[in-house]
Formats: sequence, structure tokens, C-alpha cells
Amino acid sequence: MTPSLSKNAKKKSPVLELKNIVKTYTLGNSTFNALDGVSFAIYPGEFVSITGPSGSGKSTLMHIVGLLDNPTSGQILLEGQDISHFKEEALAKTRNITLGFVFQQFNLLAKTSAVENVALPLLYSDVPKNDRNKLAIEMLTKVGLADKAPNTPAQLSGGQQQRVAIARALVNNPLIILADEPTGNLDSKSGSEIIKLFHELHHEGRTIVLVTHDMELAKQAERIIVIRDGKIC
Amino acid sequence: MLKPSLDDLIKSSFRSILKNKGRTALTSLGIIIGVTSVILLTSIGNGLQIYINQQFESLGANTVFVAPGKVFNDKGGFSNSPSSRLVSTSFSLKDINDLRRNLKNSIVSPNSQSTVDISTSFANKKGVTAFGSNYLYGPNNNLIPSAGNGRWYNKEEDDKKSNVAVLGYTLANDLFPKSSALGKKIIAKGKSLKVIGILDKKGSSFGGPSFDDFLYIPIGLVFEFTGNENINAINIKASQQEGVEATKAEVKKILLKKYDKDAFSVFDSSQLLSSINSIISTLTIALTGIAAISLVVGGIGIMNIMLVTVTERTREIGLRKAIGAYPRAILIQFLIEAVILSSIGGLVGICLGALGTFAISQFFPAQVTIGSISLAFGVSFAVGVIFGVAPARKASQLSPIEALRYE
Repeated sequence: MTPSLSKNAKKKSPVLELKNIVKTYTLGNSTFNALDGVSFAIYPGEFVSITGPSGSGKSTLMHIVGLLDNPTSGQILLEGQDISHFKEEALAKTRNITLGFVFQQFNLLAKTSAVENVALPLLYSDVPKNDRNKLAIEMLTKVGLADKAPNTPAQLSGGQQQRVAIARALVNNPLIILADEPTGNLDSKSGSEIIKLFHELHHEGRTIVLVTHDMELAKQAERIIVIRDGKIC
Repeated sequence: MLKPSLDDLIKSSFRSILKNKGRTALTSLGIIIGVTSVILLTSIGNGLQIYINQQFESLGANTVFVAPGKVFNDKGGFSNSPSSRLVSTSFSLKDINDLRRNLKNSIVSPNSQSTVDISTSFANKKGVTAFGSNYLYGPNNNLIPSAGNGRWYNKEEDDKKSNVAVLGYTLANDLFPKSSALGKKIIAKGKSLKVIGILDKKGSSFGGPSFDDFLYIPIGLVFEFTGNENINAINIKASQQEGVEATKAEVKKILLKKYDKDAFSVFDSSQLLSSINSIISTLTIALTGIAAISLVVGGIGIMNIMLVTVTERTREIGLRKAIGAYPRAILIQFLIEAVILSSIGGLVGICLGALGTFAISQFFPAQVTIGSISLAFGVSFAVGVIFGVAPARKASQLSPIEALRYE
């Protein structure tokens, strides 16, 4: 059932575990299972990619893993705790603490400096005000953009914007970094730089889940989860 | 505990509002106009009230007025039945004597008016009100020329119907524009009168007859002008020991022996004042209410722009939700933005209203009060909350998945 695990994962307990996840959409009288009994686990320090053709249920799975959506049935265990019954507010708090999102569209706030964009998740966290800016600068330094801290997204290139977004995903020290087509809006050179950054983060021991339709990109990860017609194959 | 904290929310709201300065200005314009007009109108109402109160204070608190007809209705407002105005009761010298006999400690001054044309060697003036009274009327009603401008007529001149006159400030200037009128001769109805006093400026009385335009003469002269001895009104300075209320009761009792109860009115300045005040208050409230409609229109403008803003910032809302903003944090953020927009409008409106009031106060009594400022600010704050709720709710209920997908 579980695809081959990377070597360093086997001895630890999973950070996120999906058990028999079903997501059903109802359209009029017909129902449609976007996810049909999906189970897998992600272990700390893993670099996993989720891939599959469009319409495979890849996006739905990404939303479930990202705690943006509740499954129709099945269990989501986050560090062993079942969170599948969590309501909107508790889910928001859990996302804030445990996840770092990287989007295809970067989703940076316009007319807002890079450092403020990076600090944005901390606004909704318990991190004291005085530490936020420091942490944000630290993350910008990590992605090599310390000198761009006061610049707004419009003053940055696409690759730089995505690196700011990655810094934002790192700032709350998440359990999992969830990247949805992170290179989809970038030229191949910037794209490969972003992938290089992911590898660096992986080597630091961070857990990364990369969602992409691009098999070549998916192969960059240690482990590939392929989804087709709502099932893992 | 609220996350983000209120000051973080306010700071980030200010930032998003300032990203769109032009839009902010235009959105606040409705509230600015509304608050400015509310402030202006209440200032004029208040100023008017204060001005009239001051005028009445100068009349003296102990003065009892007797006028023909029914001046007040049963509710204390001014009577407006047409019949009451047509009553042409006038009092006689006998009434004055009766009153004087019974009110030993009070000062009873008869008033009579006539319209005369005045000519001097320099100018002519038609339709001047000749106001006749006695030697005590002027000193008792603050109609005393200041030093260097002569005096009010004395008892001897009063008794002898001497040909003397005291001029209102404007009248004196109209008749003698180049030199002082004091000691000059004026001709009124064929009589040559000597100017013995010029009164200080009393100010306009809002379209009504101005005391500054009056010619003040002994009442005997007015009787000669009119050809009868009818007295139009009686002015009684109540003595300290008897007081206004007792004097009023006594006057009523005496006059009721001779006149029907609807044929005359006895009142004091506080009664007159409260009637005038109630009229001004009603007028101010009505006008302010009309101005407040523009505040509602301004609120709708804010709601419109906030709805547009929510749509424009759908992706931002989606992102904020994805990284941990719960619905209430988004709701409060957008509510605060709406309140900031309306409060900016309120503050600018208060400043403009205060400036406008200052400009108006040069020509017309107007006064900004703390009450009207706090009311205007409170209302604009409330407008922000009321009209901000719908857009903020819309924002808070967006699904993060849909919002992130929004193009």
C-alpha cells in the first residue's frame, strides 16, 4: 500500500498521515469521488512530490494535505493527532503553526515590502511583535534576498518573488512546506534555482511536499506519489 | 486572545487604505460633506440660541411685558391663531396709573410707537419707528448712551413732552453720516427735535425691526404724532422683593378687571426666551436631520467601495486565510478599514465645518460646540461600522481555496 519510503524516514513516526481519505463532490443528483480512499504518510525530513494528470484529484489532495478542506470521510493525523474533525478556526490556527505554503502565483501582497510579506504569517501567530521583523530578515537572508527587504514585489523578478514567498513559508518554522507548482510561473533558469533552494532546505532537514503535474519536476523529490482517478497508483 | 492584535490590525488597515489615496479621498467625500453640513447647521443653531439668550439677558431678568392679544398658546409656544393677531387692544394711561398704584415698588413704563419721516439739513429718512416711553425705560432696558454720546431723556423732559430725541446707532449714522448727531436738530412730523443722545450698536434682530433704527422720544410726543393716547405695550421692571411671578399675577389681576383674558398677554423674558429657544431647537434638529441624510449616502458610498475592495483583494484574503487568518480576523480587518475611511471623513468634515463656522461667525452668530463635534464623529464612526459589516462579512466567508484560485 505505502510506496517505497526513503531510507531516513522509516525509523520515525509520520508527521502527517492520511488514512482512507474520500472526498465526494455532489453536482445535482450525481456524486463524484475526487479522492477515493487515499492513504499515505509523510515522514519528517522527507522530500515528497505528489503528481498526476489534470483531473486526477491532485488539487483536491493538495487542499486536504494543506488543511484547506475537510475530507468527506477518512482520517488526517498530524503528528499522531486526528484533526479531520477540526472546524474552520482551529484549522486556520493549525495551518498557521504547521504549514508553509508556496504557490504558483506567489501570492505576495502588492505595494508591500518583501520583509513585511515574509512577516505576514507571524501576524496571526503568537510570535512577539519585536521578533517578527528579525525573523523575517533572517528568512530573507536564507533565500539570498536580504538586500531586497524594503523592495515591493513589483520591483522584484519572478524568481525573486518566489524566493520571498518561500521565505514567507519558512518564517513560522513549519512542519511541512507545501509547494503547489512553484515553478509554473517561472522561466526554466529561475525554476531550477527554486528547485535548488528546495534541495538546500531538504538537506537542512525540512519536510517538503511538492505538488506538480510535471513528471520531470516530480522526479527531483526522494519519493513520488502518483495519483490517478482519485487513487494512488 | 485576539490575533492579530488590534494595533496590528489598525496599522495594516491604514496601510491598505493609504495604498489607494485617491480612492480613499473620494470614498470619504460623502462623509466629509455630511459631517461638514451637520457641524455647520448645528453651529448656526447653537450660535443663534446663544446670541438670543445674550440679547434677552441684556433686557434684564426682572422685566415683565404686557402686550395686546394672545402671544402664547396653551403649550407655551407662540400663538398662531389669526384672530389673536387681529385683536387690537391697546392700553390707556388709566391702566398705567392703575398698575402704578398697585405695584408700588415696580417701575411701569408705557410703550407706544408711531412711524414718522425724518428730515435734517443733510438727509431725509422715511418710515422711521418713533418709540415712545418714559424717562425710566432707557436705564431699565440697557438703552443708555455711553460716555460722550449724550444721555437718555430725564423726568422733566418726559413730563413736559420736551422736543428731545435719542437716536439708535444706525439711525444717527444715516441722518448725520459725516459728523456727530449730538446736539443737532431733526424734524419729525413738523416738530423740531434736539438730539440729546446716541445709543450704542445693539446689533440686528434677524430681519425684524432693529433697535438701532429707532427714534426714542418721550411718549407724550408719540401721542401727539398719533393723535390719540393709546399705549401699545407695557414694560414693568419688577421689584426685587415681589419678584417676577408675583408681579405677573398682580398685573393679570388688575388688567382682567377691564379686559377679556384673551385680549392681552403678560409674560416675562424667560417665557419669551424658552419659546424662541424651542423654535430654534426644532429648526436646528430638522435641518441637521436633512444634513444627516447625506451621511447615510456617504455610508452607502463606503459600502460600495468596500465591496469592490473585497472583490479586488480576493486573492489576498485567500492567502491570509491559508497562512492562518481565521474568519473573524478577516472580518475585523475589513470592518476597521471601513471605520477608518468613515472616521477620516468625519475628522476632515469636522475641520471643514469648524472652518466654515469661523467664516460664518464673522457675519452671523455661529458657534461650534463639543456636543456637535462628538455627535458628528460618533455618527461617522457608526456609519463605518454599519456599512462596513456587509463587505467585511463577505470577505470573512470567502473560501480560501476559491479565493486563491480567483483571477
